[in-house]
Amino acid sequence: MRLAVTELLRRPGRFVLAGVVLTLISLLLMLLGGLLDGLIASSTGAYRAQPGDLISYSSRSENSLVRSRITASDRSVVSQTPGVQAVGGLGSIQLGARPGDDPKSRDPFATVLFGYELAPRGLPATPPAQGSVYADDVLAGDGVAVGDTLLLGPQRSPVKVRGFVTDTRYAGQASLWGSLATWRAVTTENRPGQTPGDTVQALIVETGASPPATVAQTIDEATDGRTTTLTVTRATQELPGVAQQTATFNQIIGVTVLVALVVVALFFALITVERTAQYGLLKAIGASGFTLFGGLIAQAIAVTLVAAAIGVGAAVVFAAVLPPGAIPFQATPARLAGNVGLMLLASVFGCAFSLRRVLRIDPASAIGS
Amino acid sequence: MTSSSSTATATGERRDQASPPALEMQDARKVYEVAGEDVVALDQATLSVAAGEIIALVGPSGSGKTTLCSIAGGLLSATSGSVVVGGQDITGFSARQLTEFRRTSVGFVFQSVNLVPFLTARENLLVVDELAGRAGRKGDAAARADQLLDELGLTARAGNLPGQLSGGQSQRVAIGRALMNEPDLVLFDEPTSALDSTLGDQVVKLIRDEMKARGTAAIIVTHDDRITHYADRTVHIEDGRVDA
Amino acid sequence: MLALREIRRSLVRFGLLVAAIALLVFLILFQQALRDGLITSFVGGIRNQSAPVLVYNVDALNALQASSISPDLERKISQAEGVGRTARVGERTFTAMVDGGDTQDASVIGTDDRQLFHPTELSKGRRPSARAEAVGSDADFAVGDKVEIVPAEGGGSVTITVVGVAEDIQLSVTPTLFTDLETFGDAVRAANPDVTEVPPNAIAVAPENGASPESVVAAINASSPDADALTRADAAASSPGVAQVTRSFQVIFLLYGLVVPLVTGLFFLILTLQKAPSLTLLRAVGARKAVLVRSLLTQVVLIVGLGLVIGVALFFPLSQSRVGGLPLGFSSAAVISWSVLLLFLALISAVASLRRVLRIDPIQATRGGGVR
Repeated sequence: MRLAVTELLRRPGRFVLAGVVLTLISLLLMLLGGLLDGLIASSTGAYRAQPGDLISYSSRSENSLVRSRITASDRSVVSQTPGVQAVGGLGSIQLGARPGDDPKSRDPFATVLFGYELAPRGLPATPPAQGSVYADDVLAGDGVAVGDTLLLGPQRSPVKVRGFVTDTRYAGQASLWGSLATWRAVTTENRPGQTPGDTVQALIVETGASPPATVAQTIDEATDGRTTTLTVTRATQELPGVAQQTATFNQIIGVTVLVALVVVALFFALITVERTAQYGLLKAIGASGFTLFGGLIAQAIAVTLVAAAIGVGAAVVFAAVLPPGAIPFQATPARLAGNVGLMLLASVFGCAFSLRRVLRIDPASAIGS
Repeated sequence: MTSSSSTATATGERRDQASPPALEMQDARKVYEVAGEDVVALDQATLSVAAGEIIALVGPSGSGKTTLCSIAGGLLSATSGSVVVGGQDITGFSARQLTEFRRTSVGFVFQSVNLVPFLTARENLLVVDELAGRAGRKGDAAARADQLLDELGLTARAGNLPGQLSGGQSQRVAIGRALMNEPDLVLFDEPTSALDSTLGDQVVKLIRDEMKARGTAAIIVTHDDRITHYADRTVHIEDGRVDA
Repeated sequence: MLALREIRRSLVRFGLLVAAIALLVFLILFQQALRDGLITSFVGGIRNQSAPVLVYNVDALNALQASSISPDLERKISQAEGVGRTARVGERTFTAMVDGGDTQDASVIGTDDRQLFHPTELSKGRRPSARAEAVGSDADFAVGDKVEIVPAEGGGSVTITVVGVAEDIQLSVTPTLFTDLETFGDAVRAANPDVTEVPPNAIAVAPENGASPESVVAAINASSPDADALTRADAAASSPGVAQVTRSFQVIFLLYGLVVPLVTGLFFLILTLQKAPSLTLLRAVGARKAVLVRSLLTQVVLIVGLGLVIGVALFFPLSQSRVGGLPLGFSSAAVISWSVLLLFLALISAVASLRRVLRIDPIQATRGGGVR
C-alpha cells in the first residue's frame, strides 16, 4: 500500500492522464445530478411543503391541479369522513407578477399564486390577510423585498409581500402564498372564464394517527367517486414531468458511470502493461499478486477521489455563482456524496480488468530479461 | 566453531559448517509445453551447494542456467525432482508458499531490472520488509538497511533514485537488497555483464566479501572468467544437463 | 498489416477503448434524440402550424394557456402596420375519452380561420371542413376517432371527430387536436359550465404581402404594452421550459463531446509511448515515417469507427421506443453529423501521438532506447 501511494506521489504523470478524463466524467455526473435535482425541486417544492398526508382532486381532472375542482358540498363530505382530522382547501393560478413600481414592465416574473388553509412548512398557521402574500425566496434573488407590492396578471391585481418562504416552488415557477379569499379575488379579476365561486381546486387532508391509505379510500367512497385521493408523496411523483425526468436522467447517469468504469479499466490496463517488469521484480522479491493488486486499487481510488473532489468543488461553485433562473441546478450533499460513491464503485470494478494480468505476471520473467 | 547450527538474526554472524546445505537439488526436471510439443528446459539436474559456498554457473545460451536458478530461488516449480533450500523442502510449494519463501529465504540480483525506479536506494532496501505485512515485519529493518548501505559504500547515495546512480552503484544497491532478509542463498544473474573491467572487478570482490562475511551461499550465473576465479567451485550446464 | 496485428495482440485494451467510445456515442445520440423529442413534444404544435406570427398577452410569459387577449388588445393588434389576416386562437387542456375508452388528457386548439394556426402538413386523412372536426397528433389519434370531452356537472356534451392526423404537432407532451373556435368554446363550457365568455388565448397573424414577419412583430409590440408578438420560431423557442432544456443540453453535449477525443487521444498517446522502443527499431531497420503515421491513423479510424457503429447499433432500438413518454427518433442527419464530428475530433486528438512518432530518431536503436 505504501509502495503504491509512493509511486503515485513520485510518478503522478502516468496517472494524470486517467485523472483528467475522470475529472471530466465527474463534472458530467455532478452536472446531470444537479440538473435533475434542480428540476425536481423547482417543480415539487409547493407539494413537499404541504402539511397533510393526503390530497384530493376531482376525479375528472386526471390528477391535474389546474383542472380539478372540489365543490363546497364535497368538501363537507370529506371533512366528516372518519379518520379525517383536518381539511384545508388549496387553489392555484399561474400569472405574471410585475413589481409595484413598474406596472408597465414587459418582463413579468413567472409566478403561481396559491390560496391555502392548512399552512405549509414555513407559512403562518393563519393565512395572511386579504391582499397579502408570502413569497418563495427565489423572488428575493429577483430583487423583491418584504413590504413590496406585486401586480399580478393582466389586471395588475396588487398583493403585498409580508415575508419569504423557502423551497415552495411549483412547475418551475416562484410561488406566492395567500388566503383562499385572495386567490379567489385575483382569479376572478384575471380569468373571467374561470371564476372559482366557493370551490377549491384540491383538498389537503390531515389524517392524524389513522393510516393515510385507508382514509384515502374511505374519502373517495364517501364522495361516491367524485374525488380521487392520493398521498401527497404520490401526488408529488405524479406532477407533470417528475417521473419522466427522474427516470431519464437516472438512465443517463447510469450509463455515464459505466463509461467511468470502462475508462478506469482502460487506463489502468495500460498502466499495468507499462509496469510488467516492475511487477515481475516485486513478485520475485516476495510480493504476492494480491498485494500488488491492492496497491493498484489504492491508486485507482486515489485518482478517482481527486477527480471526484474537483467535481464536487466545481458543482458547489457552479451552484453559488449561477444567476437564479438560468439553469435549474442544485448541489445537494446527498447527490454529491452519491456521485462520489458511484465513481468509487466504478473505479474498483474497473480495476478488475487488470486483476488477471497482475496475478499472472510471472516473477521468473524478471530473470534473464 | 562447531556449535550446533542456528540461524542468527544479528548482522554478520557466520553460519557454521554444520548448517544445512544452502541448496540440495535432486534430479530436478522442468518441462514446458510450447505449441503442443514438450520442451525440456532442465533435465535431471542434481546440484548441491553447501552453506556459505559460492558457485559459478557457466554454460551457453539456452542451456538452462536461468531455469535452474529460477527453480532454486523458488520462482518456478520443477516438473519433477526435489528442491531443498536452507533445510526447507520447497518441492511441492504452492505459489503463495513460494512467494513467502522468496521473501524470507532467498535473494536475487538480476541482470537488468533490479530496482524500483521511483524509490531511493535506501527505500529499495526497505521494500522487502514492507512487503512482509504487519505480522512478518522485523523491527530492525531500518538499522539493517543503513548498515548494509554503509558496508557497500553507499551511505552518501542513500537518498538517490536509481536514475541518479551509476551502473556499479545500482548493482551494489541490488546486492544490499538481496541481503536484507538474511537469505540462505543469493542468486546472481550475470552481475558484471553491463560493467567495464575495473568496475566489474570491484563488484566481484564485493560479492565475494559480502557473501563470505555472512556465510551466505551464492549461485552466480556468468560468462566472466574473473568470477570463476573468485568462486569456490564452477559448475557447467549444457542442454539442461548439469555437469556437477 | 501492422496496425491490425497490433490490435489483434492486445484485444482487451483496444476492446475497452471501443467500448468506451461506443457508450459515449450512444449517450450522445440518446441525449440528442431526447432533446429533439422534448422540444417537439412541447412545442411541435407551434412549430408546425401555419401562422408566421403569434401574439400572446405579455403576462402569459410565453405560455399559450396562460395568455388571454382582450377585445381592445385584439383591435390594436389588427391595426398594426403590416398585419394582414388575423385569427383568434384558443387553447386548453381537457379530460377526454377516445371512442369511449379510458379518460386521458387532450389539448384542444381552436381557431376561427382554418388557414391560420393549423398543422402545415398532414400525414393521413383530410383537413376539417365542418364544425367539430379536427386534425390530431398522429401518435395519439387515428382518423375516425371520436373524442368526447368529459363534461363537469351540468356541462353539455361535446364530441370531436378526428378527420386527419399530422406528425409532431403536440403541445406540452399532450395529445393535441386542432379544430374550430366554436367547438373549442363548446368544450370550455362543457368542462366549466359557469363560464360566461371565452376570450382567445392568442392571435395568429399572417403578414400582408411584402411585409416580413419580423417587421410585423415589431409593429405589433409597439402598438400596445400588453402585446407580446413573436415569430413562429421564436414562440416555439421561448416556450416555458424549452429554453432551459436547450441550454442545459448544450452544456451536456459539450462535456460529452470533449470526453471522446480526450479518451482516444490519451489512449493512443500512452500506447505510442509504450511502443517507443519497437517503433525506434522499425525506423532503424528502414520503415518510412509515412508507414508508421499511416498505421497509427488507421488504428484511430478503425477503433473510433467501430465504436461509432456499435454506439449507433445500441442506440437504434432505443430510438424506436418512447422514453418517459417522449417519442425518440432515429435521425440519420444527427447520426451522420455526430459521427463525422467525433471522428474528426479523434483524429485531431491523435496529433500528439503523431508528433511523437515523427520525432523518433532511429539512431536511438543502437543505444537501446526509444523516445524519451
